[in-house]
Amino acid sequence: MNLFAVTRLELRRLLVRPLGWVLAALTLAWLGWNFTLLLGNFLGAQVKLAAQPDAPGFTDLVAVPLLAQQGFLAFLVVPLLAMSTLAGERRGGTLGLLASLGLPPSRIVLGKYLALLAWLLLWLALAVAMPLALAHAASFDWGKFAAATLGMALLLAALAALGVACSAFATHPALAAALALVLTLALWGVNLGAQMAGLNGGALNWLAMGSHLQPLLRGLVSSADLVWFALLIVVALALAVRRLAADRERG
Amino acid sequence: MSTSPILLRLDRVSRQRAGRPAVSGLSLALGRGEVLGLLGVNGAGKSTTLAMVAGALRPDSGTIALDGEDFLEHPELAATRLGWLPEQTPLWPELTVAEHLQAHGRLRGLAGAALRDAVAATLARLELEPLRRRLAGVLSQGQRQRLGLACALLHRPTLLVLDEPANALDPVQAAALRRLIREQAAAGGAVILSTHLLAEVTAVCDRVAILHEGVLRHDGPVPKDDHAALERRFFEIAMQGSGARAA
Repeated sequence: MNLFAVTRLELRRLLVRPLGWVLAALTLAWLGWNFTLLLGNFLGAQVKLAAQPDAPGFTDLVAVPLLAQQGFLAFLVVPLLAMSTLAGERRGGTLGLLASLGLPPSRIVLGKYLALLAWLLLWLALAVAMPLALAHAASFDWGKFAAATLGMALLLAALAALGVACSAFATHPALAAALALVLTLALWGVNLGAQMAGLNGGALNWLAMGSHLQPLLRGLVSSADLVWFALLIVVALALAVRRLAADRERG
Repeated sequence: MSTSPILLRLDRVSRQRAGRPAVSGLSLALGRGEVLGLLGVNGAGKSTTLAMVAGALRPDSGTIALDGEDFLEHPELAATRLGWLPEQTPLWPELTVAEHLQAHGRLRGLAGAALRDAVAATLARLELEPLRRRLAGVLSQGQRQRLGLACALLHRPTLLVLDEPANALDPVQAAALRRLIREQAAAGGAVILSTHLLAEVTAVCDRVAILHEGVLRHDGPVPKDDHAALERRFFEIAMQGSGARAA
């Protein structure tokens, strides 16, 4: 019960602050512009594509690249949205107030996480709507698009969990955003050095976010990738809960 | 809910903050219908004590019982039975006055008609109706304080914990606050009031506890007709501490 009261409160705060609207407007405008560019390129290459037997279609050349672009935008958008969830509450003194309502740290963290996730999924839905609007007019690979959408949803869920965890540890929202951005980039590019050196770093590859997102964007859903995202979410949220519990212990 | 005359009991409660003891071995009981004034110089441990009573901080040792139930084991009791106004009124600046009350109500388990009625009654009681659509971020200090108080009173708690509630209130509002505190006590609840103002204690409290360096140095009835006696006792304790430190 209280969990949804926290979620509702956080969602309300997200919706009345201009930051969320500004970010949504700017990023969706960017994605809309890129959608028209991708579509223009796809239409311009129709003759060439028609000559190839296994040519990539609308899903490969327009829909999935659009979602991939949203993924990169999320690297910046999610830390900015998540930064105030706990660090802002701590600075404003409202975190202590929530604790005094008898709310366990797990409900506070989960409630805020669900609100952030709801906002992000709505943002994803608006981006997904762009290629879907043309699904009836193009040969649409529904399976591949569903896998890519699932990948994006998992990416957003993981980044949100990371953002909330950083917000739990940071004393200032801006620090939380910076920390989340650095961790996100580190998780994304942790295997790049090994790849550039021509090494196939097994553990580093497993750790890298890209290794688990790329197969989903290509339409390959494997339980190993799903487990990786689930693990990241659980670990990040558990760390946030621990930090909040420690706050209550330490004062 | 029990009907024991003791509503709140602190037993040898201790808490360290920033590596030094903020509260040491504090034992205190508060009965229904009682208003306890908590006095002490800055850093005496008043706010730490109130934060522990409110459930925002856990004591390092000792027990706190609310209505006979272990409050540390059942922190959820706070949602329905306790209202807390911290020293710095914590508000969400982007939410309106009415949204604050609705959010507090939902967090305390109120819903539907019960929530609507509680919000309307509290807005009227604290004279916040004209401000219901105003954002908390643009309220004056006094209005913020009244909104904080409204949030603490919304669910009609049995125990009200107020940390310097008269800060930033004008004399008329301060008088209204005193009436509200006495109403809370008359309805069978209890109030802990932390303040720097000795006059506030003599005006509204039945009992006074004086903390110094985290230790309870005095606990007794308020000398109603002798404000000077309370002042003497307070300074005696405050000076004792300073003398000990100087020595």
